[in-house]
Amino acid sequence: MSMGSIRRTVMTCAALAVLASCGNEGSDQAESPFTIAARTVGEAVAARRAAKQEPATPPKSPAEMAAEALRVNPAPLIMVGFESLGRTQIMAMTGQNGATRTYMTPSEEALIIRNGMLVGTRGLGNDLSVAEPGTESLIRSGRSGSATRVMRYYSGDGLERPLSFDCNTGPGPKPGVTVENCEGHGVSFQNSFMVQGGQIPVSRQWVGPALGYVTIQTLRP
Amino acid sequence: MRRSRLTGRLMATTLPVAFLVGSVSSTAVAEPMQARNMSTYGMPGGIETPTAEALPDGTLGGTLAYSEYARRHNIVFQAMPRLTTALRYSRIEGVTDHNDLGHIWDRSFDLRFQFLDEAGWRPAVAVGLQDFMGTGVYSGEYVVATKNITPTVRASVGFGWGRLAGESRWPPEPGDQGGKPNIDDWFSGSAKPFGSITWQVNDRLSLAAEYSNDNYMHEANGLGEDEPGNLNLAAYYRFGQGYEVGLYTLGGDTFGAQFSFSLNPNKAPYPSGLEKAPAPVRPRPAPAADPEGWSGQWAQDPTAQPAIQQALSDALAKEGQLLESMALSGNRAEVRIRNQRYIQQAEAIGRTARLMTRALPPSVETMVITSSADGIPTSSVTLRRSDVERLENTEAGKIASAVTLSDARPYPGDLVATEGMYPRFRWHIGPYLDLGLFDPGEPLRYEVGAEARATYEIMPGLILAGTLRQRAFGSMDQRGPGIPGQRGDHYTPEEYEADPSLETTPEGVPRVRSDTRMYRSDGPTIPELTLAWYARPSDTIYTRVTAGLLERAYGGVSAEALWKPVNSPLALGIEINRVRKRDFEDVFGFRDYEVTTGHVSAYYEFAQGYTAQLDVGQYLAGDRGATISLTREFANGWRIGAFATKTDLSEDEFGEGSFDKGISISIPISWATGQPSRQRAGSTIRSLSRDGGARLNVNGRLYDKVRDSHSVKLYEGWGRFWR
Repeated sequence: MSMGSIRRTVMTCAALAVLASCGNEGSDQAESPFTIAARTVGEAVAARRAAKQEPATPPKSPAEMAAEALRVNPAPLIMVGFESLGRTQIMAMTGQNGATRTYMTPSEEALIIRNGMLVGTRGLGNDLSVAEPGTESLIRSGRSGSATRVMRYYSGDGLERPLSFDCNTGPGPKPGVTVENCEGHGVSFQNSFMVQGGQIPVSRQWVGPALGYVTIQTLRP
Repeated sequence: MRRSRLTGRLMATTLPVAFLVGSVSSTAVAEPMQARNMSTYGMPGGIETPTAEALPDGTLGGTLAYSEYARRHNIVFQAMPRLTTALRYSRIEGVTDHNDLGHIWDRSFDLRFQFLDEAGWRPAVAVGLQDFMGTGVYSGEYVVATKNITPTVRASVGFGWGRLAGESRWPPEPGDQGGKPNIDDWFSGSAKPFGSITWQVNDRLSLAAEYSNDNYMHEANGLGEDEPGNLNLAAYYRFGQGYEVGLYTLGGDTFGAQFSFSLNPNKAPYPSGLEKAPAPVRPRPAPAADPEGWSGQWAQDPTAQPAIQQALSDALAKEGQLLESMALSGNRAEVRIRNQRYIQQAEAIGRTARLMTRALPPSVETMVITSSADGIPTSSVTLRRSDVERLENTEAGKIASAVTLSDARPYPGDLVATEGMYPRFRWHIGPYLDLGLFDPGEPLRYEVGAEARATYEIMPGLILAGTLRQRAFGSMDQRGPGIPGQRGDHYTPEEYEADPSLETTPEGVPRVRSDTRMYRSDGPTIPELTLAWYARPSDTIYTRVTAGLLERAYGGVSAEALWKPVNSPLALGIEINRVRKRDFEDVFGFRDYEVTTGHVSAYYEFAQGYTAQLDVGQYLAGDRGATISLTREFANGWRIGAFATKTDLSEDEFGEGSFDKGISISIPISWATGQPSRQRAGSTIRSLSRDGGARLNVNGRLYDKVRDSHSVKLYEGWGRFWR
């Protein structure tokens, strides 16, 4: 930035200073809590206003989204329904470490999946840090049995906290589907996996107490 | 030593936690009986009387209670699972002091310790001190037992002294400056019983009845009314996330209303934060697929490092981190990063490690991530790249035991500064809001205006910083200090400036803080204009020298040294300042008062986030003494603490409050919004600005700068390494 343009920006800023703030520091360092509060309110008002002016075009159906993503994105793709958030999104693979793949939405929320088994989430606010499903081999082989599933979460106090669940696996109501019933800490949940040749193309899995269930469907392996 | 501390830290991350899943019917850990509703004194209680209940550990709450006798603003903090503390600022009607307003504004402080849990037939039992170091209007003590009669009905019975027995300790003896523990009064006089019953009608509604011996003698007399009866009734309604409203009657004739809220640091709206997902680890290709990269031959190419450094710097910038400098050889890479976004340094380090796996050629196996605090290296985390590849998507404790944390090399060695890093010019213009509390005439004062701030980093550690402010409007006008002997009246700015002898109190104490309001002039002000030099003469010693206009009221030179090994919970510091009092109006002018002030400090980090600091030395008014501070810190960045300073000034020389004390609260903005940021909201609430025990407010003190990346805090936040 030249001195002249800095001077111009500074002058414009000075005129506006009581109403707005500006500078060349990143917004995560420079702003006062006062400004952040003002901006948060502003954003909430803007969001409400935007919500009133609903777009005329209806949202795309999941099938249309899937077809479009398969056409434009060559990476492995999954379609994920977040039941508690009430939305369905296409996620593309952005990295692979061994058998574990990271899939992300365009706004960089991530699911981490190992051969169809959900092992983590990122960027959703109530993320699952890592899951250690002791039931994994039972589910892949479609056997009945019981094992422990440990789910680790980022807790509000800043730590990573494990929750341990007792789980039983067995055949589900539909052929080809294995269900896993888990219980512990006063909650219970049921994961369902469609297993084909050790892979899990379709599943419904519990992320955690706040996020609830996600359905995961492989669009392109 | 290091290993056992590390294990201790990580144990915290492997405890089973019930609260993640919400309410749990049976927990194995016995915890103190939890409160149903807040009393008008802002503590878990019946209506006015105390109970043996506590709040969930760490809870910070507030209660505003209003009746014709009083308006009470209460802040409550569950400092330990069994220790409840409250700070209260009340407008008490019908009671008069020197201001002769027909009411007084009064601060008071409570402690309650629940020493027995409910078990079988035994009730929970607590002992408490109410208003134990204020002026004494609310002063009283109690022992109380609380028992669940049925799952929805709970009864409390106790004995109270002082106010709780209807015996007043107001007014204080003439000459008593208040503000110190009134130990002689504790549990003195006769004891009288009190009791309450609460009925939890449903999840939201609860009803309470109580028998109280507090007769509001002074308030009723002052208002010319009869004292209220002994029987009080109330209804409480809970809603939303931790809100409660209540309606109550004292004796049937006097009515009141209250509103409470509570925050729990353990329950954030977005526990994991809303920051974007990190770029995942990129594992290296097989050696056969990239023989050149694995051979390390690329390191001979002089263009390799600049290209890699630029790419990594760009990627880190998107993560809110500065790549200050980098060293790269065939099998080792070291980066110095400045974390500008995440409260937990571990998250910044974890994200940097993953980006390094994406940017570095395969032959690099050793990765060193050095944290920098504004140009000064504070610690180095050394990782094996193969561990990062192997342990991604496992619990954070595994990578913690695979890394080495060490003191950073103080000298740059082979580190190459990132192009365009220095000199570094930052500026910001925006509004500011200043709040002033506890002025008896107007309890909340404010000032709004515009602020311009700029920093210029000439080289690592050498920083020029300045702030310019222009007030726009507000209720903090320029004003002289209170006139001795005519409390409630103040000198006008002209009177105060015209007579230099007024700058010393009649007791002979120089006015170093009690004339702070003289600095609220209408013209532009420069709260800070300094040149600071930070350095590290050895592995474990940090230094700072700051010169210039150090704060609004003082200018001069400040020098500090800190000894803090990276793995030590103990730190020692020394600070010496030679300062002169600044002029009230002329931004570059000075007044005659000049002083040397300085302290020797010891800092200690206990387990479970409790920290202590002891400062011994000479304060701004030339008085000598010590400050003790105790703080509770949560891994998510919440900090709540209390401090007290006693110097060789006598209580009369110090004035109202007897000695300086206060509490401080600091909450990370990211905890509330979920958006990653190192910004904090908070404040220090202290006694009135007095001249005894006052310290210089210089920016950039070393301990807090250095500590984020040292063992205790780093490992406390380590659960976020893979976030």
